[in-house]
Amino acid sequence: MITLSFLQDLFTQYFLLRAFVAGIIIGAVAPTIGTVVVVRRLSFIADTLGHFSLVGIAVSLYLSTLGISIFFETPIYLGLLFAVIGGILIELFRRAYKNYKEISMVIVISIGSTLSAIFFSLAKKTGSLYAYLFGSIITISNYHLVLIALTAILVLSMFLIFGKQILSVSFDEPTAKFLGINLNLFQILFMIILSVVVSVLLESAGVLLISSMMIIPVAAGMRVGWSFRSTLIISIVFSELSIFFGLWGSHAFDLPSGAAIVSVNVIILLTVAIIKKLIVRRRISKLDKLK
Amino acid sequence: MQIDIRNLSFAYGHRAIITGLSHTINSGDYLVVQGKNGTGKTTLVKCLLGLNSVKNGMIFFDGLDINSFKQWTRFGYVSQDLDSFNYEFPLTVEELLKFSIVSRKAPHNYLKLLDEMGILEILNQNINSLSGGQLQRVFIVRAMLNNPDVLILDEPTASIDAQNKQFFYETVNSLNNSGKTIILITHTESLENINYTHVMNLSLDMSVDIKARVLEGKFTL
Repeated sequence: MITLSFLQDLFTQYFLLRAFVAGIIIGAVAPTIGTVVVVRRLSFIADTLGHFSLVGIAVSLYLSTLGISIFFETPIYLGLLFAVIGGILIELFRRAYKNYKEISMVIVISIGSTLSAIFFSLAKKTGSLYAYLFGSIITISNYHLVLIALTAILVLSMFLIFGKQILSVSFDEPTAKFLGINLNLFQILFMIILSVVVSVLLESAGVLLISSMMIIPVAAGMRVGWSFRSTLIISIVFSELSIFFGLWGSHAFDLPSGAAIVSVNVIILLTVAIIKKLIVRRRISKLDKLK
Repeated sequence: MQIDIRNLSFAYGHRAIITGLSHTINSGDYLVVQGKNGTGKTTLVKCLLGLNSVKNGMIFFDGLDINSFKQWTRFGYVSQDLDSFNYEFPLTVEELLKFSIVSRKAPHNYLKLLDEMGILEILNQNINSLSGGQLQRVFIVRAMLNNPDVLILDEPTASIDAQNKQFFYETVNSLNNSGKTIILITHTESLENINYTHVMNLSLDMSVDIKARVLEGKFTL
């Protein structure tokens, strides 16, 4: 029994249990921050910050070839610094192109990709690119698990303390000022926290899949949610389901963990969309019959 | 709050929109700003609210220059441009209003305000299921949450049917009677239902015609 073997291994193999705990935390954090990203209509932002964070990792590897190895073991710190720089650049470009938010992201993603390619090449580490592009939750360390837990506390605290302000700014930027909200402060605060989330999740989720983990559960949640709160809770449930079944699929069929998790996310999204469409169609035909 | 506009001019690039406008809006006034599309009604509002930076002319709030003014919660603003709001994400009316109470001074009386607006029954409805008129009134309730001194309504009746329009103006009149300064922007509205104290007519040739009327119990002229 494949399922039983996964559950048995979960409690006997430490690396799998660690990956599962990390996955459960990421499963809650990613759609929580993803919800705000979707409301702000910036779904590509995590991808963009991920590309810029990758520059920090590439620079860390390059510095180690020059004998500066303090960042070699923990490239996440320079990754975080560059993600924050990327976030600030997005805000600056967004103000220059007010009505074309996506332009700012294309510019920043281009700079990030170019610099990453250059520094990975200079460091002669292009082989390690795959790990950062697709990530692996299975291979994370205890240290990384602690960082993920701290990030979750940071996101939770942000929502508990500044949730109203961040959501008000996200739903309706121009009116925030008259509600007594410092627009610039909360835009930058959100960008910094998003940068932290992206750089910490980079190793486990990968540059190319991090956005999917944040956005797809929310996209599915929006199809069935009837309020902000219900949509957030449903998104987290979908996200946790995809983590569980994704890890199970990865373990059972020897698939990359990130890809398996995102595949389950996509299956949930399609299932929800199809069921919703069928329900709506059935209601319409019932109404037609009543007429 | 007294709003003092002195010799205000504003241009988008080389295109002048407002030239040399001066007017004083006293506390409790009800100013209707009329004019065809492109005459600068929304531009004027954006100048008053610091959304357009004023380079020519001056605006004072209770004698304080707009550039030093920080108490923006004393203004309630319902924008003409409702597109800036994200309607597609599920959000109930109650959630919207709860998120909007961030100032410690806010009276938190959104239930009372909804009741006064005649829309208490839509409290748990999703924002994207509301009619234009209901939505407009929800945004007015949101603008009132901080108990502002001045309420600025930009084309508020654009999506309200005739029956609800009358109710809407009665509500705004009673807000004005309770001491709020009202600035109402409209390009089509007749003044029949409006208890205005001043009408400012903006024209495409940038001339401004301001008329005042005395209302019982009001001291504006």
